[in-house]
Amino acid sequence: MKTVKKFLAVLLAAVTVFSLSACGSDPNQTTGTAPAASASSEAEKSGPDDSKNVKIGVLVSDVTSAEALAFRAYYEEYIQKQYNVTFMYSDELADAAAEASAIDNFIANNCKAIISFASADRPAQIEQCEANGVYYAVATGTLTDEQYEKFKSYKYYVGAIGPDLMTEYMAGYNMAKSFLDQGYKYFGMFGGATPYYTEMHIYRAAGMLVAMCEAGKGTYLGASDFGGMIGAIYGAGCQLAPAVIGDVELVGYVGGYDFDDAWFGKLAAVANDPKVEVLLAVGSGQTAFAGFKREGQKLGDIDCYTKDSVALMESGTLNYLAGKFSASIGPIFMATLSAVQGHPIRNAEGNAFAIGQGYWVADNAETAKEYFAVDSSKTEPAYTRAMLDTLYGASYQDFENFVKAYSFDEIKNLAK
Amino acid sequence: MENEKIIRKEQTRERLLRLAPVMGLILLFAVFMAIAVIRDINIPYSFKNIINQSVIVVVGATGAVFIYTLGSFDISLGASLCVSALLGAMAYNRSGSLLVMLLTCVGVAVLISLISSVLASVFNLPVFVTTIAMLSLLNALALVLIGANGTGDVIQVPAAAVRGINNVWVKLAVMLIYLGFCVFMFNYTKLGRHEKFQGGNPVCAKLTGLNGKRLAIAAFAIAGIGVGLGAFLTITYAPTLSRNTASSVGMDIIISIVFGGMPVSGGARSRIWSAAIGAVSMTLLNQIMLTLSLDSGIGQMVKALIFILVVFISMSNNKGNILPR
Repeated sequence: MKTVKKFLAVLLAAVTVFSLSACGSDPNQTTGTAPAASASSEAEKSGPDDSKNVKIGVLVSDVTSAEALAFRAYYEEYIQKQYNVTFMYSDELADAAAEASAIDNFIANNCKAIISFASADRPAQIEQCEANGVYYAVATGTLTDEQYEKFKSYKYYVGAIGPDLMTEYMAGYNMAKSFLDQGYKYFGMFGGATPYYTEMHIYRAAGMLVAMCEAGKGTYLGASDFGGMIGAIYGAGCQLAPAVIGDVELVGYVGGYDFDDAWFGKLAAVANDPKVEVLLAVGSGQTAFAGFKREGQKLGDIDCYTKDSVALMESGTLNYLAGKFSASIGPIFMATLSAVQGHPIRNAEGNAFAIGQGYWVADNAETAKEYFAVDSSKTEPAYTRAMLDTLYGASYQDFENFVKAYSFDEIKNLAK
Repeated sequence: MENEKIIRKEQTRERLLRLAPVMGLILLFAVFMAIAVIRDINIPYSFKNIINQSVIVVVGATGAVFIYTLGSFDISLGASLCVSALLGAMAYNRSGSLLVMLLTCVGVAVLISLISSVLASVFNLPVFVTTIAMLSLLNALALVLIGANGTGDVIQVPAAAVRGINNVWVKLAVMLIYLGFCVFMFNYTKLGRHEKFQGGNPVCAKLTGLNGKRLAIAAFAIAGIGVGLGAFLTITYAPTLSRNTASSVGMDIIISIVFGGMPVSGGARSRIWSAAIGAVSMTLLNQIMLTLSLDSGIGQMVKALIFILVVFISMSNNKGNILPR
């Protein structure tokens, strides 16, 4: 018995020593360094190389939301069938350590690139990928100015496409303004992840509040413009509260994602307040308010196009939706594939790109249905293969022009 | 003669069941290697990955074995790790010293553990009850610390500060030193023997003069050291900390300990190596699921089934109230 135990212990120790002695190997040994970029026009003409499978890791911090599922469906049910690529998805990533671990898993499984939807620690993700010779791209998000300045010249940093903070601000501003222009004055707001210092939601909330300040000719937390409002929100520790804003009033406010009885109670209290005419949500408005909304109240949300949201638009429960379209992650995929295959898309200074892309806005059921039909199509999504192939090895200018033409009508024109 | 045969058969069965976790680990390793070769994955990098992913759970769970041996459990270990890491990071940012960070992580973790065990002692409650209360308290404390730090929703240590120690050799050294300490304390000192006795039969232990509360305090203190080391390693691996840091570690520790063949009731059959075997086994299983590209839901179901099987085997090794002879 003791002999057996000793044998097992020695076997385990030997395996450990053997494996550790190989640990210093460069994970990119089999792939070598990134190949030099060829002339972009030649690359564009030849199109993506489908002869060899390319594994791409996808980091996700959210696996169950409708938006996350729609993005995944576009990659797995359209892109993966059109191109010789394999997407490897992470589990839901709660923190920076989980992100680092997921990237390690991808590298171990020979992923040539990583597309990230997770943002607990983007700088660490970029550094980890750079150190291991793996391309990294940000989908549906952006780096801060400071981060971009630091990483823009990194060899393996592809770039970022997504709503920049000004786009987020304008999404909130336009949504609130659309209701203010209709004469509504009393609002309830769901602040989402604002208390958690999530910039995306802070800027959307700021946009809504500035629109209210302009319409009501008042101030909120002493601010009434973009810069002042952002500062005021941070100054308040990102804890917003109801307030009178001139002729307009923020009657009720709920922030955070507690998902407990008290949280649902607060949402119900805001929605059931007889004074509240319009419910605005920086995100997840359908979850937060749709179940409590009173007859005659309006609901606006910044989210994504799903079967459920379209049904809510048709029933009149949801009245305004600014949503990401699932194919919006097509260009970042193509830029990543292009980089992996030796044709990185860099701007005039030779740096990674940072391109803003916004939302499709629907304020009626017909428009929402039309958008959703395209967005959910498995055969003719908003960005088809034919359209994405034009981005392969494209010049920065062509790439930027393509991405910035993101409205539904502009994309329809691009497709022709 | 007949009786001797039966006894020998039972002893063989018991030995095999005791070796089952190790055999399981070897089997998982063999499966992983086979899949790795077939799928042509980066094996050296995978080994480094396995160490990175398992070392925090190994140190946390190994210390927790002392608690589980008493027949108790601590549900707040993950939250304790989070708070220890947050305070450790804050200590680094004020002092610029990695040593201060390490001492803060360990000190805070030990203090939290001692509070749990001392409170249980004062109020004469089962220790796990106070750990349930500590869980809520620590989760709230994490939010307070992040808010008080004034840097948004994270607390960060500069990546450059920990880059030098974020390597396999440092992690292995920490793990092996702590494992060695725990093995020594558990297998070669009175403390370990007394804990097994206390966990196996608290009534007899009390009648022989053992102080259960003191044993609990010692067990929690040792577990606290493991949690503190885990917090330090967490910061070196991912120096951006949030309220979600180590959110899954608590559950991973419990699963690792059981996966490694530790009897859930503690007592004489407790094994200090259970945690390390379980943690590495779990990590290998995760790697296998990932390499096979199994859907996350299916992967979780497979892990759950294996977990139930392991617990079943572990429970079948327990012949009720009869201690090993």
